[in-house]
Amino acid sequence: MIPITHFLVVSACIFCIGLYAVISKRNAIMILVGIELMINAAILNLVAFGRYDKADYGGQVFALFAIVLAAAAVAVGLSIILMTYRKYKTINPDQITDLRD
Amino acid sequence: MYEFAPQITPIIDHIIDSVRSFRPEIAISIAFIGTIFCSLFADRYWKQASFSVFLIGLLAAGYLTYTQNTENIPVFFDMLRIDTFSQYARLIILFAVTIIGLYIQQYGSYQLPKKRLGDIYSILLATTLGLHLLTLTTHWIMAFIAVEMVSIGSYVLVAYFAQNKKESEAAMKYVLFGSTCAAFMLYGLSLLYGFTGSLDFSSIAQMKGLIAAPMVLSTVALLFVFVGIGFKLGFVPFHVWTPDVYEGAPTPITAFLATVPKVGAIVLFSRLILAWTASPFYFGEVTLHFLCFVAIVTMLIGNLVALRQQNIKRLLAYSSVGHTGFLLLAVLSYVHHEPEVLFFYLATYTLMNLAVFGFIMILEKQTGSAYLADYAGLGKRFPLVFTGLTFAGISLVGLPPTAGFVGKLLVFTSIFDIYQTLDQSLYLYLLIVGVLTSVISLFYYLKIPLYGFLRQASSGTIMDLSNRISCPIYGIALFFTVLLLVFGLFPDLLLDFFRLP
Repeated sequence: MIPITHFLVVSACIFCIGLYAVISKRNAIMILVGIELMINAAILNLVAFGRYDKADYGGQVFALFAIVLAAAAVAVGLSIILMTYRKYKTINPDQITDLRD
Repeated sequence: MYEFAPQITPIIDHIIDSVRSFRPEIAISIAFIGTIFCSLFADRYWKQASFSVFLIGLLAAGYLTYTQNTENIPVFFDMLRIDTFSQYARLIILFAVTIIGLYIQQYGSYQLPKKRLGDIYSILLATTLGLHLLTLTTHWIMAFIAVEMVSIGSYVLVAYFAQNKKESEAAMKYVLFGSTCAAFMLYGLSLLYGFTGSLDFSSIAQMKGLIAAPMVLSTVALLFVFVGIGFKLGFVPFHVWTPDVYEGAPTPITAFLATVPKVGAIVLFSRLILAWTASPFYFGEVTLHFLCFVAIVTMLIGNLVALRQQNIKRLLAYSSVGHTGFLLLAVLSYVHHEPEVLFFYLATYTLMNLAVFGFIMILEKQTGSAYLADYAGLGKRFPLVFTGLTFAGISLVGLPPTAGFVGKLLVFTSIFDIYQTLDQSLYLYLLIVGVLTSVISLFYYLKIPLYGFLRQASSGTIMDLSNRISCPIYGIALFFTVLLLVFGLFPDLLLDFFRLP
């Protein structure tokens, strides 16, 4: 049996990789991928902790809902990025700066 | 499988009982499906079909909420909690969403007469459903689903009308920033779940788990969770999306973002603060200090940065950041058992913003611009619009005889009472910063009459404007301005309604 620490370390690593992608990438789709990695790290955590919650399986249920919501958010995000691409011909957030102080 | 067999009957009974308390939300869901069908089939024959279904659904939900039995009944196995607190918040939300629906309908009819608006009502209804759940729950699963429902709905609302570059840029920034914050919140929730084994933040199991958990880790988890709530509320440092999105989004959608999600999020946040500060352990201290620090910084940054804004929607974005700081003060007075103060402030804040954005929509329609410089000299042409806008601005500053003054006065009084009973200098700082930033806000709200009445227009730019303003928005905004005066003179009308029995 794999102890829970392993799961936590792996999920913390995935979370940091996702955060790095969000901060450093110059492409809106790569940022979405980073966000997805962060959400998946959280889902891994939930499922790992859920094994110790025999009473009402809150973690497993939460993981299912989180997957669904992440998919919905990514669908909306991709369509908005597509729309932005049509207007700007780029999806680099650093070059899309019409709105600023 | 068989171990559940004898329990099935009571479980089903409980669910059937719960459905009875869930009627307002069911009305919204039916209206949601109705608007989708209308926009598919009926809008072609009668253009306002989906809009009328939207209105009927909201009115029905409002009636059902108003007549609801609110004796803190556990619903759906404690996932939801029906009480008067959520009832009032839901009434404010439904009222604001109805008005915003009217704004959107008008905006669509003069701005984009060709575009089909049927779908936007269904999205608005889905978002309203999310907001209802946000005010009803103390359970993290439900709270996360509700936050995401509101967020995803808002992304679509911002992007729906996108005609030019600015609008799509605003939508993209919003979606990327919002999804990142949601991911942070989810990770924080997963850690909280791991420490406590419970997902209900008002439950004893969660308290016990937080007390037993290592202090550094659980503080990190709490801060991660606050990232998600902070994004919805728009407090510093998670306010960076507000000015861009408010400026880029169509004005009725800006009015939506400035008012309704804040009501929902502040209710969730107050429940959280109430549950956690009640316990004498360190995480109660952590949340309380976090709240006070954030409130001070939010008020300062929001009001100071607003001083140098030239675009009126950007200006209002920073002013709404400042008001979020103020709402956090009102949360403190809720925690100290004065819920009517929080509700009065929420209700007047919603009214003020709806009035201001109504007037801005009219000005935008007449001039095609949201920059203050373009409004120079327009005060003589549209005296009533600028008088109303100035009055609503004065109410946002908090000067008598407006409802905004009464709201701020109530919050200051209750914070001062807390300071006198607890004698912690923290509350005194909160009070000083609150008063100071109210004075600062006077400077930028008074820019509106300055440009409207005192500056002269550069010649030849505004000659082609028509002087006639005839649309329902005008009437609604003026009515709200009068309401602000009435509630400023007779605050008891509203306070008595919100006083918990």
